[in-house]
Amino acid sequence: MLRVARSITRNNHDAEDLVQETLLRAYRSIDRFDGRHPRAWLLTILRNAEINRHRRRRPELLRDPDDAQREPAAGGAPSAEATALEGAFDADVEAAFQQLSPEFRSVVELVDMAGLSYAEAAELLEIPQGTVMSRLHRARGRIREQLSTTRPHAGSAG
Amino acid sequence: MKLRLPFSRRHLSCRQVGRLVQGYLDGETDEETAAKVAAHLEDCKRCGLDAQTYREIKAALARNAPGDLDESVGRLREFGESLTGDQGADA
Repeated sequence: MLRVARSITRNNHDAEDLVQETLLRAYRSIDRFDGRHPRAWLLTILRNAEINRHRRRRPELLRDPDDAQREPAAGGAPSAEATALEGAFDADVEAAFQQLSPEFRSVVELVDMAGLSYAEAAELLEIPQGTVMSRLHRARGRIREQLSTTRPHAGSAG
Repeated sequence: MKLRLPFSRRHLSCRQVGRLVQGYLDGETDEETAAKVAAHLEDCKRCGLDAQTYREIKAALARNAPGDLDESVGRLREFGESLTGDQGADA
């Protein structure tokens, strides 16, 4: 949930606030929860809390790409060749990811980084599940194309 | 709702697998389709490499996710426990 909030708010402090607000709302409305699909229930509460935070401004799920001040991909110096290779691969993937349009980045963040299912991402972004799938697949396809320009054998990175 | 093939076929073509492979890696295909995709990936080197590329991209994206959330998790856990009167402390 924190990762989802992080992908929406783009900073840790706001993400923590958003999750705290979500927990509070969930606690208050637990009587109305039927016990089914707790993840979906919490994500809906989280989305509503975020909308409320911005007072009916459109949910800022798709922020300006320049706002994405992301942390470095890997911390610490590589200690072995394998780690170095993996780190270089990760950096290339990260660079390709940053070149994606906001619409594509948001689905990648929710599915690949936050671990949501297609259905959960669709619910959160308020778009059809088929759109999540096509954006996600095209986004990864673009990352792959980008990798093929920087490393001819992108399929054997490890 | 899981992705499934529009009709039942024993073997999949490379083109079909190309459309299904990402959903398969995401765990978004039904069991029967997943088994067919897996069988094809075993037999077809080209599609197998294709799947491996997407697997590595997914893994790299997951590793690139912001990872410094531990302190937030700790504070939120405390907050959750304060809401429920420490009932979750022993859970």
